[in-house]
Amino acid sequence: MTAISIDRVSRSYGTVRAVDDVSLEVEHGEFFTLLGPSGCGKTTLLRMIAGFADLTAGQIRFGNKRIDTLPPHRRNTAMVFQNYAIFPNLTVGGNVAYGLRARGVAEEEMKVRIARALRLVHLDGYGARWPHQLSGGQLQRVAIARCLVIEPEVLLLDEPLSNLDAKLRVEMRAEIRQLQQQLKITAIYVTHDQEEALAMSDRVAVMRAGKLEQVARAQDIYRAPATPFVAEFMGTTNLLTGTIAGRDGEALRIRVGQREFRAIGNARDGESVSFSLRPETIRLLDTGEAPPPGWSVVEADLGAVEFLGAISRIELDIGDGAMLRVAGLDLLPDQLKARGRIAAAYDPRRVTVFRE
Amino acid sequence: MIAISRRDSFPLAIAILAFAFLGLFLLYPLLNVFGASFLDRTGKVLTLANYVRILSSSFYLGSLGNSLILGILSTLLTIAIGVPLAFCLARLPIPGKSALLALASLPLVLPSFVAAYALVLLLGRAGIVTRLLRDIGVPFSSIYGVTGMTIVFAMTLFPFAVFPTLAAFKAVDVSVEEAGQNLGASRWRTFRTVTLPIVMPAVLAGGLLVFIEVIESFGVPFVLAEDKPVLAVEAYKLFVGETGNPASAGVLGVLLIVCTAIALLIQRHYLGRRRFSTATRRPPPELVVKPWLRRLACAYSWGVVLISLVPFFAIIVISLMEFRGPVMQSSPSLNNFRDLFGQSWRPLINTLSLSTAAAVTAAVIGVPIGFAITRFRSRVSDLLDVLAMTPFAVAGTVLAIGLIISFNSGGLVLTGGWLILVLAWVVRKIPFNVRASAAILYQIDPSLEEASINLGVSPPMTFVRLTVPLMMGGVIGGMVLTWVTVASELSSTVVLYSGPWATMTVVMFQALEGTGAGIASAAATVLIVFTVLPVALVYRLLRRHELGMM
Ligand SMILES: Nc1ncnc2c1ncn2[C@@H]1O[C@H](COP(=O)(O)OP(=O)(O)OP(=O)(O)O)[C@@H](O)[C@H]1O
Ligand SMILES: [Mg+2]
Repeated sequence: MTAISIDRVSRSYGTVRAVDDVSLEVEHGEFFTLLGPSGCGKTTLLRMIAGFADLTAGQIRFGNKRIDTLPPHRRNTAMVFQNYAIFPNLTVGGNVAYGLRARGVAEEEMKVRIARALRLVHLDGYGARWPHQLSGGQLQRVAIARCLVIEPEVLLLDEPLSNLDAKLRVEMRAEIRQLQQQLKITAIYVTHDQEEALAMSDRVAVMRAGKLEQVARAQDIYRAPATPFVAEFMGTTNLLTGTIAGRDGEALRIRVGQREFRAIGNARDGESVSFSLRPETIRLLDTGEAPPPGWSVVEADLGAVEFLGAISRIELDIGDGAMLRVAGLDLLPDQLKARGRIAAAYDPRRVTVFRE
Repeated sequence: MIAISRRDSFPLAIAILAFAFLGLFLLYPLLNVFGASFLDRTGKVLTLANYVRILSSSFYLGSLGNSLILGILSTLLTIAIGVPLAFCLARLPIPGKSALLALASLPLVLPSFVAAYALVLLLGRAGIVTRLLRDIGVPFSSIYGVTGMTIVFAMTLFPFAVFPTLAAFKAVDVSVEEAGQNLGASRWRTFRTVTLPIVMPAVLAGGLLVFIEVIESFGVPFVLAEDKPVLAVEAYKLFVGETGNPASAGVLGVLLIVCTAIALLIQRHYLGRRRFSTATRRPPPELVVKPWLRRLACAYSWGVVLISLVPFFAIIVISLMEFRGPVMQSSPSLNNFRDLFGQSWRPLINTLSLSTAAAVTAAVIGVPIGFAITRFRSRVSDLLDVLAMTPFAVAGTVLAIGLIISFNSGGLVLTGGWLILVLAWVVRKIPFNVRASAAILYQIDPSLEEASINLGVSPPMTFVRLTVPLMMGGVIGGMVLTWVTVASELSSTVVLYSGPWATMTVVMFQALEGTGAGIASAAATVLIVFTVLPVALVYRLLRRHELGMM
């Protein structure tokens, strides 16, 4: 069932089209992430849903109810702000009670609900504390409790973890995800961290310059990016360009300089295409080792090797100045250097072709 | 055409109310002053005759000249005293610096015409010091006229030059200075070529503030000017003399507004283009200087601040002395206070209650305006900003004259009552209240308000339940400052008061005109006590409160 439909909304600031003709549907209980580089319009879109940015065109509905015409305080959304926005003049309990008071909830029921919300975010017994007595992570939990307690139709989160240190960020993202699943609440999450997006989301929308580039399940966004931009934005990849030099069974033959790659896809002969091949899908073959069945091989010279412990980042020179990046698991640079010329194997089914 | 969105309806409502209030009690009166200056005796025919008459009179031209000369001299002297003081306080090791800073802000809240009056009592024709000097044979003419006024203005207004400049000296990034020296400039050269240009806008801002204060001032020239006419006083005298159509007073009023408006425009223009960055990465450390220089700086800083407070101490002491007529005796007594309150308690009660009403009203009107212009940038809020700053350029005398012309007949009659006093004070203090609340609001993260609205509390309720409590410390501080400054307000009060609604300043004013030096000094002492005590108390409370919130 559809929880939120965003229908062709736009918003411009002067000549900047911050959000440009965006349409989306978010399902009930879905964890939906808006992902994209800085300035692409994620915050603006989120604030349009909350009511803090006006629409220059389009509609937003919760279920069948149109809400973009409602003032922000009547939309029943709950937003977790990047800087938490905890009221410094109220205690933790007062912060959590704030939205309930606005809804005229009876004092008795309020107590119960506040205690339950604080328990959910592991802050039982913190009700009487003042915000300045809490750590960053605890403030973040208060912000979340304050939102959950009003049982909003949708939870909006704008880079809620970006002010936390790396370790806490990883912990909190697991907690937020778990809470969302437990309460089956619809959530829209804004981030520019693709790892965060993949780890938390049911579906991800990648935005670029105010437009949606791709909307898909987290794993599909990674495995089957719709555009070169998405492929590059979602982690490291090899983005190469070449010309179609014919077919080899069901595989396309793509000529890149002196080398030929194989890929499953559709394109005309002689067409110029780009394609993405992720570093971690490439395997370096031992001397004389045969590639797995169905895989293709490309010969290359060893370039720079960066040893990072568990993995090594390897650059292969495939001629004409083109480089192929490979992530090698459990490899030592010395082993590679002894080999000289290297055979790199890949599965043509893992190559994504983009037609111009 | 951009449609007005729902989110803007709250600030729009604020703006409409503010426009209505300021339109009725600021613009309409000013318009009437302008009108009066362009109408002939019958009040029906447009004419320039009033301007011709005034501008061809050497007396009134002289008063314009005197006002300008006084403004310029006082500004220069204030800057000459204030900038070195600001530098000492910002960059040199001065013992007791925080006490010094607190004391240096006192002249801002103490009524300047009390200082002028103290100077008369000490150095006037029958002054205590004058007589002493005469007794031992030292010739001493008098301190009346431009000299005396310039001294009083410099003594009471120097904080206007000190505080902005002090902030600017502190905001100078040391690495900029170091870069200058690193490039081979001497310390003095660096100061001249790097530091001074950075603080210049602040000096100018403070200087123009002083200029406007001087031009508008009524009490100081009234006490000290003697035969030197100045605009603000002459406008008052003309207005009291003219019955019916206040054409000549209107012309002087317009001249006053033109002077202050030009000063304000120069300031805006200059500051709009140059602005030093206040985002200091490294606050400048105190300079290490030779001991004699340090002692000199210390003596200078404490000297200036203490001398500026002498008149107020003197008044308190004088008020505790026995008077026979205008002549002070050498025995202490409380008779002055007995005489003061023997006449009536009404003036004190009036001052206390009306100032409170004005301070609360000014906050109730000023805080929402500050909110609307900081949180919602639009053409409407820019206009509101300009309008809310306008009273700053309008002398109290002129506003008062306008209020009387506007509200002594017709549908809304206010003359003769207390409300007109409160309204005049409120209008005069709106710029301060708006600026002060805007400054606090810049410190409050707007996402707090969004969070509240997002949780279901409407914008007006968010303002009342969240923003105002968050601003409370600053708002109370602003209210106290408003209270003390209107309690010692004279320029509009003297025009507007009537019968039972005389305030303490009016009592002083009347006592000065007559021979009641004893009563006047007692009234001044009461005023000083009622000024300093609340300021000191509230600042103590506020500091503790703010520490608790931290
Ligand atoms: N109030 C505003 N006035 C003018 N332009 C704005 C305003 N808010 C956003 N923009 C512009 O709209 C575009 C989108 O901004 P937005 O804040 O939505 O980006 P974002 O994707 O959230 O970026 P980030 O990851 O940096 O937070 C930007 O080009 C920004 O400059
Ligand atoms: Mg953003």
